[in-house]
Amino acid sequence: MSSLVTPGWKKPFAGLRVADFAWVGVGPTVSKYLADQGAEVIRIESSTYPEALRRVPPFVNDEPGLDNSGYYANFNSSKLGMTVNLKHARGPELVKRLIKECDIVTESFTPGTMARFGLDYASLAEGRDDLVMIAMPLYGQTGPWSSYMGYGHVLQAAAGFNHLTGWPDEPPIGTGIAYTDFLVPHIAAIALIAALDYRRRTGKGQFIDFGQMEAAVHGLGTAVLEWTANGHDQTRMGNHDPEAAPHGCYRCRDGRYIVLACTTEKQWDGFKAALGRPDWCDLERMRRRWQRLNEQKEIDRHIQAWVEDVTVDPAHPDAEDPDADPEIPVVRMSTEQLMMHFQKFGVPCGIVNSPEAMHSDPQIVHRGHYWKLEHPVMGMRTYDGPAFRLSDTPSELTKAAPLLGENNEYVYKELVGLSDDEFVELLADGAFE
Amino acid sequence: MANEPPVPLPHAQGPLSGYRVIDLADEKGQLCARLLGELGADVVKVEPREGHATRHNGPFFRGDEGPDTSLYWWSMNAGKRSVTCELRLEPGRELFRDLVRKADILIETGKPGEMAALGLGYDALQQVNPGLVMVSITNYGQTGPYRDLEATDIVASALGGHMFLNGDMEKGPVRTTAPQAYAQVNVQAGVGAMTALYARAVNDGRGQHVDVSMQEAMANAMDNTQQTWDIRHLNPIRPGIRRNAAGQYGARYLFETKDGWLTALQVGGLIGPGANTIIDWLAETGEARGLESPEWRVKLTSMQPLDERDRDYVEETLNEFCKKRLKDDLVREAQARGGGWAPVLSPHEIVDNAHLLDREFWIRVQHEDIGESFIYPGPPARFEHTPWQQRGRAPHLGEHNEQVYCDLLGKEEAELRRLRARMVI
Repeated sequence: MSSLVTPGWKKPFAGLRVADFAWVGVGPTVSKYLADQGAEVIRIESSTYPEALRRVPPFVNDEPGLDNSGYYANFNSSKLGMTVNLKHARGPELVKRLIKECDIVTESFTPGTMARFGLDYASLAEGRDDLVMIAMPLYGQTGPWSSYMGYGHVLQAAAGFNHLTGWPDEPPIGTGIAYTDFLVPHIAAIALIAALDYRRRTGKGQFIDFGQMEAAVHGLGTAVLEWTANGHDQTRMGNHDPEAAPHGCYRCRDGRYIVLACTTEKQWDGFKAALGRPDWCDLERMRRRWQRLNEQKEIDRHIQAWVEDVTVDPAHPDAEDPDADPEIPVVRMSTEQLMMHFQKFGVPCGIVNSPEAMHSDPQIVHRGHYWKLEHPVMGMRTYDGPAFRLSDTPSELTKAAPLLGENNEYVYKELVGLSDDEFVELLADGAFE
Repeated sequence: MANEPPVPLPHAQGPLSGYRVIDLADEKGQLCARLLGELGADVVKVEPREGHATRHNGPFFRGDEGPDTSLYWWSMNAGKRSVTCELRLEPGRELFRDLVRKADILIETGKPGEMAALGLGYDALQQVNPGLVMVSITNYGQTGPYRDLEATDIVASALGGHMFLNGDMEKGPVRTTAPQAYAQVNVQAGVGAMTALYARAVNDGRGQHVDVSMQEAMANAMDNTQQTWDIRHLNPIRPGIRRNAAGQYGARYLFETKDGWLTALQVGGLIGPGANTIIDWLAETGEARGLESPEWRVKLTSMQPLDERDRDYVEETLNEFCKKRLKDDLVREAQARGGGWAPVLSPHEIVDNAHLLDREFWIRVQHEDIGESFIYPGPPARFEHTPWQQRGRAPHLGEHNEQVYCDLLGKEEAELRRLRARMVI
């Protein structure tokens, strides 16, 4: 693959090597930012205790296999992979020798796990002061919950996202995903690169105690201050917004949904024009934003009815609407046309894209957000790219995710410094499992 | 100077101390700039003379709307300096260019082409300061068919695919009430900014333009559903209190307690390889409803899908058990037994959470201007040598004009008076 980097430019993290113990969602996303910008990131795994995500679907052809998970693959492109059995008598020593050749260690185990294998920061940094290590468990290194287990799917509850997602007076359903796994790694990456920049200038490394819950709290918008300053405990409002009206999600004839929001009076004027200025818009109680905030249910009813009137069901494009007023000619629109109709009037509006639709969304396609990479087992697959483009050193997904232990020979011989004989001997003895 | 502003609090020990960030951003970039400030950077918020529009974002302190009472403004701009500078006037642009000469990072959220129309596009500013990292955060990116379209948080959540995953099959998709597209694009832009800053050091001091898309930031919050479409051509369902399992209803993960809700993952929940620990617990209290039998134990730990009737029976058993107890007690006991449970916490409960209190997470921030102090979130990352630091309250409009324009840019008082008279600052 030819590089996208401007000639004469270097990828920022080229020359840095990362020992990446971090597993599941959060840690691998952090190290991937470095890998996509030139760092040599080595996933340290075990075939005896495989990384959890290697066992999680989707699997190609629905065949579970440690080298066949799209979930794992997406988080680990651009990286190398090695395996070690830390419970083998020589395992920890081999890893320590590898880390001597590394600049950065990332991990996300429950606190104390690394120390059990003699791989805590104090031990790893012995005799050097340039090692940067970030530990990223759910709840940080100290405190009564530090030993608590869980995943992003439960952390979203403890960090407030369940409470703030759903309909009023109904269960706090949260997002449908392991949400914090997709929020906190970016904050960890900012912290880690900041520490790397400090190291570049001073030669000094350090340990970073990153608690996922604490980082996630920074994603709660105004909720913390609204409690601590106003004594108001924010809660879930469905698709309404405390500051904007209209603000909602509406079902179109084809079964898809659109969302729209009017945060300014200008957008409300555009909205009224987009609807052809129906009478309800000009009611006195709809005049100002603070008034409309009290009328959200009625506003939703009007918009939902109008959206159903104007959109078409492609399966029955000519079907007559039995409730339609024959006096009023209705211009029918596809869901895409409806979105652009509102946008033409300056109203923020968008389709709720399914994963399927994301792959053909004109903007996502134009931006080249998704990458195609050939994987030796999984074949040509789609990978997420970063949300940012750097003009001269754009991030590059350089290779598909590593097979389990794919780079053992390179890592053990070139970096750890094993001879051919030692390598074979330890291999036979199960040290790499 | 006579009246040295009390904020921002100095922070010489941060990993980014010594860098300067200019913040022209709206909701899409203010948190990003604040996080860099808390790592030590000097963040200068540049506002138009009437104040940045987000000063009027609710909610407001005690409900009183005003330019200095927005809790949004407080949350996202804490610890920054504020200067006024009228970019629509050439003397304002000249002043801004002077500021850019002293900056490392510029974060802006204008529509594509907006900065260029002012003569402040990346090409122009690069001439002024070749080392500048310019971070341009937009709804959809600088290029492409949507580049000029409008968006707010809910629109980016929708077009970014994330919102499709949340909600209920009957009621439809739902947005997280605390805006997540804004949160996501801020923190992902931060990674781009830091990467370009580091790249500058290894590329002879040359800066870059960082083009960030809010839609793409949300596309990166789709868990494994993108790959599930790619590999299996399946879209997810919106699972409500359950989990999505490749387009099918997976295990229920939310249960009601006496005082609210909790999440019990199937790993360490009642269905899955760890089920026995939970069955034992229910059996000890006599509430297992027969699940302690060998047949049930095999069924629940086998990882084979249960039929609907069995699943309902099992989940009802756990729900009844939870409903009689307090969520904190349940979570503590489940964790002691190896179950990865967590309580559903509200913002209030998070502020009171014993774990975060034990870690001394929260910071009390002085608002000396109104004679009050309030609790703000603490460190998202704890550095051994270069601490994170909260930098004090958000600035008043133009609070740092003299400090920045005189001390930093070396302007004379008389020149400042002229700029004021010409309505530049």
